[in-house]
Amino acid sequence: MVGFTESRVSAHHNYLVNDRLTPGFVVGNPNSDNGFFFLADSLLPGQDTPLISTRLVNAKGDTLLELYLNNIAANPAGCTNQSLPRGFRILDSSSEPLLEVLTQDFPMGHLTRIKARLFDEHGDLRIGPLGESIQVQGEAKLILDAPFIFNS
Amino acid sequence: MNIAVCIKQVPDVPSIRMDRERMTIIRDGVESVINPLDYVALQAALDLRDRQGGEVVVVTMGPPQSEEALREAVAAGADRAILLTGPAFSGADTLATSHVLAAAISKLDPFPDLVLCGTQTTDSDTAHVGPQMAEELNLPQVCGVNEIHVEEDYLTVKRLSDGFVETLQVSLPALLTVTQELCSVGHLPFGDLEVAFSEREITQWGLKDLELKEEEVGLRGSATQVWKLSAPPPKREGDLVSGSPQILVDHFIRKLEDLSILDEEDGYK
Amino acid sequence: MDTSNDLKGVWVFGDYRNYFQNRVTLQLIAKARDLADKLNTKVIALALGDRVHQWAMEYVAHGVDIVLAAEHPDLKSYQVETYCSVVAPWVEAFQPQIFLAGATSFGREFFPRLAKRLHTGLSADCVALEVDTETGLLLQTTPGFGGELLAEIVTPDHRPQMATVHPGVFQERPHNSEAVGRILYPDVDVVPETRVKLIRSKRQQTRQIKLEEAPVVVVGGRGLGSREQFESLFELAELLEGEVGATRPVIGSGWTEKERLLGQTGKTVKPKLLVSIGASGAVQYTTGILGSETIVAINRDPQAPIFNMADLGLVGDANTLLPLLIEALRKRI
Repeated sequence: MVGFTESRVSAHHNYLVNDRLTPGFVVGNPNSDNGFFFLADSLLPGQDTPLISTRLVNAKGDTLLELYLNNIAANPAGCTNQSLPRGFRILDSSSEPLLEVLTQDFPMGHLTRIKARLFDEHGDLRIGPLGESIQVQGEAKLILDAPFIFNS
Repeated sequence: MNIAVCIKQVPDVPSIRMDRERMTIIRDGVESVINPLDYVALQAALDLRDRQGGEVVVVTMGPPQSEEALREAVAAGADRAILLTGPAFSGADTLATSHVLAAAISKLDPFPDLVLCGTQTTDSDTAHVGPQMAEELNLPQVCGVNEIHVEEDYLTVKRLSDGFVETLQVSLPALLTVTQELCSVGHLPFGDLEVAFSEREITQWGLKDLELKEEEVGLRGSATQVWKLSAPPPKREGDLVSGSPQILVDHFIRKLEDLSILDEEDGYK
Repeated sequence: MDTSNDLKGVWVFGDYRNYFQNRVTLQLIAKARDLADKLNTKVIALALGDRVHQWAMEYVAHGVDIVLAAEHPDLKSYQVETYCSVVAPWVEAFQPQIFLAGATSFGREFFPRLAKRLHTGLSADCVALEVDTETGLLLQTTPGFGGELLAEIVTPDHRPQMATVHPGVFQERPHNSEAVGRILYPDVDVVPETRVKLIRSKRQQTRQIKLEEAPVVVVGGRGLGSREQFESLFELAELLEGEVGATRPVIGSGWTEKERLLGQTGKTVKPKLLVSIGASGAVQYTTGILGSETIVAINRDPQAPIFNMADLGLVGDANTLLPLLIEALRKRI
């Protein structure tokens, strides 16, 4: 018997998660009012930049930063969004990197790798380093077939 | 260095390398030759033996007339020759052929340090038998070799593979398939051929000698079968023109004009 | 989702080395799609290497339903026994009915060894593949008997039915950026081959002979008789603003470089005009020129098979005609 793990692969863009390709993934609930979430959204053909939305929190549940489609939407902890060639990096107030997103371009497609070490409001590590990218722990939807639907 | 060379007798495709006219001792009406690339393998084996010492054994699987190929190989300098023949062997695809050849090589004493054969044959052209023998004999393989250098206990070989020039080290024993570029083929000394045909002995092995069962060889031991043969159908119904050279040239020029490659008058479009 | 049933479909080995010249995997995926549709099953592509993300995405874009992926440092360079150690257990576990690979240098030494390990049948350099929907048999057409005939081969009792196909035989489908496929990462137990070590690998210096792009191709065959006669083709080609190609016996005799070889184990060309001189028309050669818009053939023998595919056939001696053709063309410039 040969066992296997399974994922989905999109022809034009994927993220590298748990050492596997996926068109998109989400941890937590982006439509919640508080608490940790991380959304790497599924892209439509023609879009070559990944869409990251996240709420980073501390162990008490206080919001440190909110990103909506790569842009800072709330910034209580004084983070900075540093632009990189084909990506971006979020630094905290002491210039420590919290999150880095970089996209590799192939002739006919794109692959996004993420560097991050993110905890939820219970102090549990939900996203951590694995190989060239990240692994996801705890409850998550590891395959998004279509772009996430936000409430208004 | 003991070397086994696998050769195949194939229908003759006239080649500038071999002058069949001189082979007056060959009796059969159907022209057959040693597969050209196997001849290169044989030459390489003889060169290696002459430099390193050892023995060259030539093996072939085929109908009884394949013995002629072995005698040629012996006349060229091979030390021993083995003919694998028998009614059960016929109709074999490469799976069955490689099985028989591997069985024969396994019986060689001493087991060869190196097994050589041409990359492919001019008749079936599959290039399968080498790799399939290597698999059965559990030997490392390198295919398409065009250079061989002998080191202490391994070989350094070169070959072209998908646009890359590769240099590889292969430990012995190993199987290599060889290409044209490996060496230029020597001419067959006429006198030696006469001797080869009258005096030297060819060993013949059949099913029992190889300790194989009928269902492992020949048509029964094959996984593929030829379902049907056909001549490629005519694809275009064009004009066929015979005549004087000038007429032929005129037709050619007119075709170029039809295609607008030439102007109707002078020069090009 | 019945994955185990899906995996019994049509497999294609992903050979992506030398990718920009080598489109054979994509061509085979198109053919596999055709076969799988007729058999009501799936197309599965294998992507092995140290990083295969790009290929997995490309294969899905070209019509693959499922990618079987394995990443491992020992898979970085193409090595026959190492690859057999990974692929053979997958085949035994998942049981595809058909398994195809491009007849690249690697494919031609990897697939036979794999077929032997699996104890199944393999046909080489197929020029056509069809499937009998009643029996599930893959009809594998290869040139036989030195290229003068076509042989249709079947593998009645052994599985998978394996075949290699030369680049240029099939046509790839357009890249579809909207495609999404499944990707499976099976357990991998790599047994690296230690008895063969790749010491050095250098890209071959190829001269810029763009045969595939030339509007006119002049092909010389064995009937020209000598290297000098073959070389006079270059002047003819130049007058026609074309390139020179050659058949296997010409290459075998060393009259010109291998890059000019046309046919089953060489290049496939589709020029506006192809002039075939002194070649009898063996199938191994003609598969490389079938797509030419116009074919003019010159041969001494009116029965030569090349005339079956010529729009204009001239029965005459190439060596007599060549200088006359060249002179006639020179006059027209």
